[in-house]
Amino acid sequence: MDILIPLMVIIPIASALFLNLLHKNDSTIKIIAIITALILPVIALITPYGSHYFGGYAPLAQNSTIAQGLPALITGTQLFQFHPAITYVFGSAQQLMIFILVLISFFAIYTSINETKKPSGVYAFLMFMGTASVSAILLSDDIFNLFVFFEIAAMAQVGIIVASGIKDNYETALKYILLGNIAGPLLLLGIALLLGITGNVNITDIIFSIKNGLVDPYSPAILMALGLLTFGWLYASGLPPFHTIKSAVYSKALPHGAALLQAFSVFSMVAIGVIILRMFAYIPFTSTAIIGISLLAMVLGITMAIVQTDFKRIIGFLAVGELGYIGIGLGLGTAFGITAGLFQAVNEAIITAFLFIGFGTVLYKTRTSDTRKLGGMMFVNPKLALLVLLSGLAMAGIPPLNAFQSKLMLIQASIQSGLPELGIIMILLSIVTFMTFMKAFYTIYMRPKPAELEILENKIPKSTIISLVIFLIICIILGLFPQIATNSLQTLATGLV
Amino acid sequence: MIIDSQLMSFFTAGSLIVIGIFAALFLDNLIKKIIGLAFLADGVNLFIITMGYKAGGIVYILLPNMTISNFAQNASYPLPFALVLTNIVIGASTLAVMLGLIIVLNKKHGSISASKILGDKGEKIE
Repeated sequence: MDILIPLMVIIPIASALFLNLLHKNDSTIKIIAIITALILPVIALITPYGSHYFGGYAPLAQNSTIAQGLPALITGTQLFQFHPAITYVFGSAQQLMIFILVLISFFAIYTSINETKKPSGVYAFLMFMGTASVSAILLSDDIFNLFVFFEIAAMAQVGIIVASGIKDNYETALKYILLGNIAGPLLLLGIALLLGITGNVNITDIIFSIKNGLVDPYSPAILMALGLLTFGWLYASGLPPFHTIKSAVYSKALPHGAALLQAFSVFSMVAIGVIILRMFAYIPFTSTAIIGISLLAMVLGITMAIVQTDFKRIIGFLAVGELGYIGIGLGLGTAFGITAGLFQAVNEAIITAFLFIGFGTVLYKTRTSDTRKLGGMMFVNPKLALLVLLSGLAMAGIPPLNAFQSKLMLIQASIQSGLPELGIIMILLSIVTFMTFMKAFYTIYMRPKPAELEILENKIPKSTIISLVIFLIICIILGLFPQIATNSLQTLATGLV
Repeated sequence: MIIDSQLMSFFTAGSLIVIGIFAALFLDNLIKKIIGLAFLADGVNLFIITMGYKAGGIVYILLPNMTISNFAQNASYPLPFALVLTNIVIGASTLAVMLGLIIVLNKKHGSISASKILGDKGEKIE
């Protein structure tokens, strides 16, 4: 049992609560937010792999001291195997994903503090609460604990939209929370069904009950639980039918907020998707359903991006389309396919954050995200334009950047699984992604500047440039040495097959 | 009779869930939508409580004069009640946020109609 594991959740929550109290105390907010955001990646890197049991102990089977003297009613039954505590599991995959999540969180907080004249303790509170929630979702082996953090993450996202001050943000926030209040209880109903059938909320114990014949694996209640959990998964990740609201959420947040929000969606998708696979992979239509939904997300996301005129909405829809690639990897169900899907998730989180913060500089200089009103930004800052161009090329999967490697792996995995048509669709949609990005890039950066466009004199903060350069370096490193990520993700993927 | 009351409780929970989803999807008044969402959450809570009910069970507190075997055989399962308690807190928080948002939007639009505020083109049932 390692005490550092819960710190990945406790520190951001404690810091968030503290920052909330420090509202209007600008310099203290800056210092505490930056220090906390810097500590989090370090904790993710130094924490040894293992499990942590909140308010309890390891299963009796691993705990002979407590097991001694207990009646056979407990030691002679499955209770001997079960986890009598909220369990957090930290492995190499969790380490990589939490590291990337908190890194994006750091850059989002770092840029937000430097881009806004008065840093807001409440805004930092929301960012840290969201980060803590998604870290907990990634760590938790307890499905009810996951639900609690699912709800907190949704509330933090609503808060980030409300705090943006962008036109019509309250309307979008209300829509998102209304949908969340349908998805949340339905997810809980699925959890309740699993609890009713297996007597457990620990994911490992539920799987133990299903795989060892303690419950009927094809009972209608289990199938209904699968449906309800899938509904919650769609909401958390922004897959269809929630793709429109999710992209609206991104467009109503400030660019650094959107960068973090999309990371929440990506890692929630992975965490809940992995749980669905762990529990229900034996049901034949689980994989088919995941692939079907993912294909729909890819097609809808990328095609809807083409017709948008707001660049934040364009990135939002492209991000939804990219989620489809992750889903395809998970749905293929092979160790290689799942590794590719998880690798794509890591890459997408970085690239989309890179894109949001990169395009955010246009908003910073012009106060508009409407592509019809923009133009000529290349001549304002050519180096920044190059960075944004590279982020778009990364998303489209151009070598030697990171998404090239994950997309190539996904195509190879689909061919290996006997589904080459999926590979063809992925290639075609990558081309459309590239075209969509280039259209937006041309409109904003390369075409002549419209006469009515006013470019503000304020200088882009160095923190923003530093963030973009570091994102680019990560993209190049993961593009050239993909094994850094895939080695970490392989263990989790192999365990799912 | 005990089984009947449990069945009735499940039926009530199911009804609350269905009414809640209907209200959230089809009613135009935002306050009514939110009442529907509260019904939905309460329905799920009632479902969990009903599931945790044990006929003839005892409270899950190990008293000094009780043997572990007797306690293990007769105590109700405490987990569902703990889950419901947590979910009530979550429900109250989200309800407060939703009502807060509606207050702001009512000031801005002068209405609590979903079709006016959120641009819903769905069926309008008052």
